[in-house]
Amino acid sequence: MGGMLARRAGFSLLSLLLVSACLFLLTRAIPDSPGRIVLGQDATEDQVAQFERDHGLDRSVGVQYARWVSGIVLHGDLGRSFITGRSVGDEIAKTLPVTFELVVVAFVFACVFSLAAGTASALLRDTVVDYGVRLVAVLGVSVPGFWLALILIMAFAVDREWFPPGGFTPLSAGFLAHLDSIVLPTFCLGIFYMAVLSRMTRSSLLDVLGQDYMRTARATGLARWRVLIYALRNALVPVVTIAGMSFGYMFGWALIIEAVFNINGLSRALLTAIQQRDFALVQGVVMVFTFVFILANLAADIANAWLNPRIAMAAA
Amino acid sequence: MMARVISACGGTGGFIGACLMFLLIVDALAAPWVAPFDPLKVDMLNALSPPDAAHLFGTDQNGRDVLSRVIWGGRASLEVSALAVLIGGCGGVGLGLLAGFFSGGWLEQSLMRVLDAMASIPLLIWAIALVGILGVGSVHIAGFTFGNEVKLLALLGVLYIPTLARITYTTALGEAGANYVAARRLQGVSGLRIMLSDVLPNCLSPVIVQATLLLAIGIVIEASVSFVGLGVQPPWPSWGNMLADARNYLFSGEWWLSVFPGACISLSVVAINLLGDGLRDALDPRHSTSALTA
Repeated sequence: MGGMLARRAGFSLLSLLLVSACLFLLTRAIPDSPGRIVLGQDATEDQVAQFERDHGLDRSVGVQYARWVSGIVLHGDLGRSFITGRSVGDEIAKTLPVTFELVVVAFVFACVFSLAAGTASALLRDTVVDYGVRLVAVLGVSVPGFWLALILIMAFAVDREWFPPGGFTPLSAGFLAHLDSIVLPTFCLGIFYMAVLSRMTRSSLLDVLGQDYMRTARATGLARWRVLIYALRNALVPVVTIAGMSFGYMFGWALIIEAVFNINGLSRALLTAIQQRDFALVQGVVMVFTFVFILANLAADIANAWLNPRIAMAAA
Repeated sequence: MMARVISACGGTGGFIGACLMFLLIVDALAAPWVAPFDPLKVDMLNALSPPDAAHLFGTDQNGRDVLSRVIWGGRASLEVSALAVLIGGCGGVGLGLLAGFFSGGWLEQSLMRVLDAMASIPLLIWAIALVGILGVGSVHIAGFTFGNEVKLLALLGVLYIPTLARITYTTALGEAGANYVAARRLQGVSGLRIMLSDVLPNCLSPVIVQATLLLAIGIVIEASVSFVGLGVQPPWPSWGNMLADARNYLFSGEWWLSVFPGACISLSVVAINLLGDGLRDALDPRHSTSALTA
C-alpha cells in the first residue's frame, strides 16, 4: 500500500508540474506584452520595458517559469500582483477561507444527505421513498446551481425575508447571522453533487446487495445491519472516487455561486484579476484551485485503497 | 416501427429525451424563422412588460422579446457544447484508439501519461481563467470573425479530450487482444486498417454515451461562463448572459427574466440526461457509472 501511495503522490506532483507549465506558457503566449496590457496604450516603450524588468518579464519563458516554481517550492511565494504589487499569496490567503468554508459545508451536506438518501432508496426500492429520492436526484443534476440561486433568492430572500439575499456575514458577527448567510449558497452549491452521489450510492449498493456473498452472509445468520455495513463498505468504493472529484469541482462552481450571492471570496479575487488583466494573480489563483483538485483526487485514491485493499494490491 | 425507435433510444425515458433534444435542435437551427421578433431589437417603450399575448415570455430591460432571445440563446448554447464535444470526440477517440491499439510501447505510455495529467485540470476554473487571460472579444481567423464563445468552445473541446480518450483507450485495449483482430492480421491486413475499420466501430458505444453527458455539462458550463461575462458577449443573447442581466431585477419582481432562460437550461439538461441514460441502456449495459460530474 505504501508503494502505491508513493507512486500516486509522485504522479500527482508530476501532473501539477506539467499542468502549471502549461498554464504558464499560455499566459505568456498572448501576443501583447503584459506590461503593455496593464499600463495601457498611452505608456511609453520605456515604461513598458521598466515594468517588464520589475516583474522579471524580460527573461526567457523557461527562466521565468523556473523562478516562479522555485519561489513557490522554496518560499511558498506565488509572486506579486501586476496591478497592486502586493503578494499574490496574501491576496489568496485573504479570500480563500471564505470559499473553502462554503465548499466544505456544501461537501459535507452533499455527502451526508446522499449517503442517507442513497441507502434508504436502495433498501426501500420501488417505494415512495425511492421514487422521491430519484426525483430529487434527477432535478438536482438538471437544475444549474446559479439559476437555482436566483430563484431561491427571489423566493426566500425577497418575497419572504428568511435569509439575506447575498453577502457573507463573518463568524465574528454572530453564529446565527453567519449560518443564515451561508445556507442558500451552500445549498445551491451542494445540491448537484448530492444528487449525483445519491444516485451512485443507490445503484452501487443495489449491485452489491444483489451479489451471492451477501445472501450467504444473511444465510449464516448475520444481522441485517451488519450485512448492510459490509455492503456499504464495498458499495462506497466508486462513490468515494466521484466524491473526491466533486470536492475539487465544487471550487469551480463556488466561483459562480459566489458571484450570484456577492460573496467576497476567491471568486471575486479571480474575476477582478481577470478584469484588470492581472496575470500574476490569475495564475496564482488557478494554481491553488488545481492543487486542491489534484489533492482531493489523491485523497479519494487513498480512501479507496483503505476501503478496498484489493485496489492497493492490484496497483502495487 | 414506433416500438423499434423507442427501444433504440433505450426505453420511454430515452425516447422522451430524444424528442426534446430534437425539438431543441430544430429550434436552434431554425432560430431566424421560429423567433417571433428580432432578438436584438430595442423597444424602450415596451421595456420590462410581463408575459402577454404579444410577448409570450415578456420583454427585458431594453424592451427586447425574451422568447426570441431564449430561442437565439439556445442556438449559442448548443453551438458551443456540440462543437466542444466534436473537438473532444475527434481528439479523444483518436488518441485513445492509438494508445489502446498500439499498447505496450512508448506511444501508449507517453500518450496516457499526458492525458492523465490533463485530466487533473479542473474544467470550469480553467475555462474561466483562460478566456480571461486571452481577453474577451471577437476572434479573427482567416478573414472570418467569430464571437468570443469560440475561445470557450475550443478550450472545452481540448479539456474534454482526456475523458473521452480514457474511455476509448479502455475499450480499444480489450478489443486489440480479441481473436478477430488476430484473424485480420493473419489475413495480412495492416494494423492501421484493422484499427480504423474493425476496432474503431466497436469502441464507439461507450464514447457516444459519455459524449451525450459531456454535451449536458457543456451547456451548463457555457451558461456559467456567460453568466460571469466571459462567454457570449452582449447584445447577443445566451441563456447565461440573460440570467446575468436578470440578476439586477431580482428585487423588483420581474420574475420572467430569470425563470425562462434558466428553465431552458434545465430542460435541455434533463433531455440530454434522459437520452444519455437511455442510450447507455441500449448501447452499453456494462458501464453503469454516471459521469454527471463537472
